[in-house]
Amino acid sequence: MPEIFIDGHPVQAEPGQSVLQVALANGFYIPYFCWHPALSVAGNCRICCVQVEGRSWAEISCNLPVTEGMRILTDSDVVREQRRATLQFITLNHPVDCGICDKAGECTLQDYHYAYNGRPSISLEPKVRADKFHALSGRILLDNERCILCSRCVRFTREKSKSHALGIKRRGDESLLRAAEDHALDTDWYSDNIIDICPVGALLSRSFLYKARVWYLQPVPSVCPGCARGCAVDLWVRKPQWRLKSLAAKQNTSIMRVTPHGTPGIDGPWICNKGRDLARIFERPRALQALRKGQPVEYGVAVVAARKLVADAKRAVALVSNWGSNEQLTAFRDRLGTRFTVYIKHDHMPQSGEPVEDDFLIRADKNPNTAGAVALFGARSDRAAEFPADTDLVLVWGEGCDFTRLPRGVKIVFLNAYLQPENGHADVFLPVTIQMERPGHYTNGDGVVQAFVAAVAPPPGVADAATLFAALAASEVIPA
Amino acid sequence: MPGKQLLMTFPVTATSHTLDDYRCRDGYATLERVLRQQTCEDVTREVTAAGLLGHGGAAFPAGRKWSVVNLNDGQPHYLCANADEGEPGTFKDRWILENAPHRLLESMLIAAYALQVRHCFVYIRGEFDLPYRRLAAAIEEAYAAGYCGERILGTDFACDIVAYRGAGSYVCGEASGLLSSLEGKRGYPRNRPPRLTVQGLYRRPTVVNNVETLANVTGIVANGADWYRSFGTPKSPGTQLVSISGHIARPGVYEVEYGYPLTKFVYEDCGGLTGAAALKALIPGGISTKVLTGAECEGVTYDHQSLAAAGSSVGSGGMIAIAEGTCMVRLLQVMLRFYHHESCGQCTPCREGTGWMHRIIDRIVAGRGRPGDVESLLEISRRNDGTTICGMGDAAGYATVGILAKFRDEFDYWIEHGRSRLMGKLEVGIDA
Repeated sequence: MPEIFIDGHPVQAEPGQSVLQVALANGFYIPYFCWHPALSVAGNCRICCVQVEGRSWAEISCNLPVTEGMRILTDSDVVREQRRATLQFITLNHPVDCGICDKAGECTLQDYHYAYNGRPSISLEPKVRADKFHALSGRILLDNERCILCSRCVRFTREKSKSHALGIKRRGDESLLRAAEDHALDTDWYSDNIIDICPVGALLSRSFLYKARVWYLQPVPSVCPGCARGCAVDLWVRKPQWRLKSLAAKQNTSIMRVTPHGTPGIDGPWICNKGRDLARIFERPRALQALRKGQPVEYGVAVVAARKLVADAKRAVALVSNWGSNEQLTAFRDRLGTRFTVYIKHDHMPQSGEPVEDDFLIRADKNPNTAGAVALFGARSDRAAEFPADTDLVLVWGEGCDFTRLPRGVKIVFLNAYLQPENGHADVFLPVTIQMERPGHYTNGDGVVQAFVAAVAPPPGVADAATLFAALAASEVIPA
Repeated sequence: MPGKQLLMTFPVTATSHTLDDYRCRDGYATLERVLRQQTCEDVTREVTAAGLLGHGGAAFPAGRKWSVVNLNDGQPHYLCANADEGEPGTFKDRWILENAPHRLLESMLIAAYALQVRHCFVYIRGEFDLPYRRLAAAIEEAYAAGYCGERILGTDFACDIVAYRGAGSYVCGEASGLLSSLEGKRGYPRNRPPRLTVQGLYRRPTVVNNVETLANVTGIVANGADWYRSFGTPKSPGTQLVSISGHIARPGVYEVEYGYPLTKFVYEDCGGLTGAAALKALIPGGISTKVLTGAECEGVTYDHQSLAAAGSSVGSGGMIAIAEGTCMVRLLQVMLRFYHHESCGQCTPCREGTGWMHRIIDRIVAGRGRPGDVESLLEISRRNDGTTICGMGDAAGYATVGILAKFRDEFDYWIEHGRSRLMGKLEVGIDA
């Protein structure tokens, strides 16, 4: 293990590491644009320069291998001056339109400018003009003027998503990031990661474009329910103090964007595009009204009716949701497990056009907690043909159940969160909460248990399924 | 002729580039002798002892480059002749490719033998038409005669040579950019480490040598290191093909022995400047070397040490003579337009800096220069120096700093008066 000295402090390095890696691992910050821990070294931004003691010049630390006894200066005069010059070069043709840039507030270039340059441009020349809104794909807009050509996105599509969808064309200060072919990026299921790794505001999410300034938002740690990989994600919602009356109610509570939380070993800093579109799953029209045979009733009345059905049933079958958290599944087992024959229902199946499985992140099981449910109830399929012959009650929890395939004449108690035609066909329908309205845990396909927290308050008139199970099992009515 | 000759030793005729003519000049005899009698190490030792310097611009000793390649590392090695001659003012490799292609091929085969290379490449500049046709014909002749391919001359040595045409980028003349281009990628130069002799073409040890450097190998191996060292000076052995252009009476390619007096070469061998004008400045080795004034050329001999002492270098051998009356501001404008156009755009300082300098000089020439512009040019040059992956940013700086340091008054005049003191002339002595 070579020992090197950074700003005079001895630190241990692994052989083969670069000075930048060692410095960051030991708490010495060196600025960088093009380097990324998960991508290959490009060495083109030139901002990560350091000085080796005894040399008169600065050199880039991302491609500087450590050698025993090396003495590195990260903040010498030479380094400071070189960084300032590099930032002058980078901002030379950068439009500095932070006022209308979605990246403002979390932009590396902005941060570095204030930290390492802080001076106005010394250039008198007009800036090089380029495309401002180039549609790189149906999901991503490219602002070529803001692009600093760090090539992170190009390397991502080559090394991680393997779509080879991006490249740089033309040369010099007219270089342009472009898709290799028309629509090449449209078929990259991980394309939105390049928005995150873009150090400036060149790559913009079309769904987040001009939606919110990031400093009004807060990340809420969550788990993507899109497949059994269970990537840790951050759901970005408005900070409570910035939920304003002047905004539409939906704007105050909706998921503005989803970014990877970056859990080593599960997904690294990447998630797929489905994870970016969790709003499409969560923000479908919600069921807010309890129903009895399709007629609106008070929640308490519905619970009483459901409890009577459960109590009267001779042979009850439950289809539990593998979108339920470990807490909810445990509540069901503890409160009602003895009264039901339990089957695990697969709420979601692969949609047409959706990649079923690949060798990067996406898993074929499109549900977050199959492993958690199997651990509690065993791996029993939910095919109606296997139900006991004398079944007279089915409790359906969650989506994805075709009522026409249930045994004829059975009573149905249905717990669902979304507004769906089946709701009215159940004998009793009870609206429940969704993942982003409650805390809980999921066990992913590899057996890793991860937590998520509530991002927003549940709407009035819905109950957490766990509370509901307690109510159904209780001898008295517990108001919702 | 300026001194003794190593390469231009035969009269150029309509057939002098063919295999038959080359054989009459003892062509491929050295290859045969090497293959039958010498080991790989013998050849490298001879080239190292001869002190053969790179003729592409950086003057890195060829023997030292070769010695880095580990012959017993069990991986393929590659050899690549850099024929992407793109430095403005340089057209000397073209002479070899047009008139002595077999000399290059024989040298490459000897080098391939020394470095245990199975596949050699000639990366030839895309604009070179006749040179490419001559080279391609020579490769075909060599294959037909059994000098290339399997079992060369009946020995176990096998080697293929492929000519690959570039697509017209200056940066692809840089060794690592050349290899990127050869691999079919964008011609971006690569970060060092790793060095190309450790990880080059297809991530294998690769030696990239200039065409003229390689062409000298046959002579060295045939006649020995001592013979080669009898040319030139002790520290700069051998000769240099010099392509001279500009305001010169007899432009063309000359073989200049190192140590030959510079002014004697310009005034006697090349017939002096057009219209017998005085020498205002001389760019000794392509525009990326620092310019010398006429006065500075006095007493300089044409070799690495003397030119370095004068503040410039041999560079790529592309000499440009500049007559009295030439506007240096316009000259720098032309150079900076070139660098701006040719920057590959990979590293920030060069990508932005070359364009920035070009826009500043354009503004000066348009009569909208401001005090401080010259300082800006110098500052940008300084910031480009040594801060990029390849030397292109440095080169743009050398050219700028060289001219600004010696002809500053012309820039100040243009900025102050909004026009050239010399009427912006680049053509001198033609109308006269």
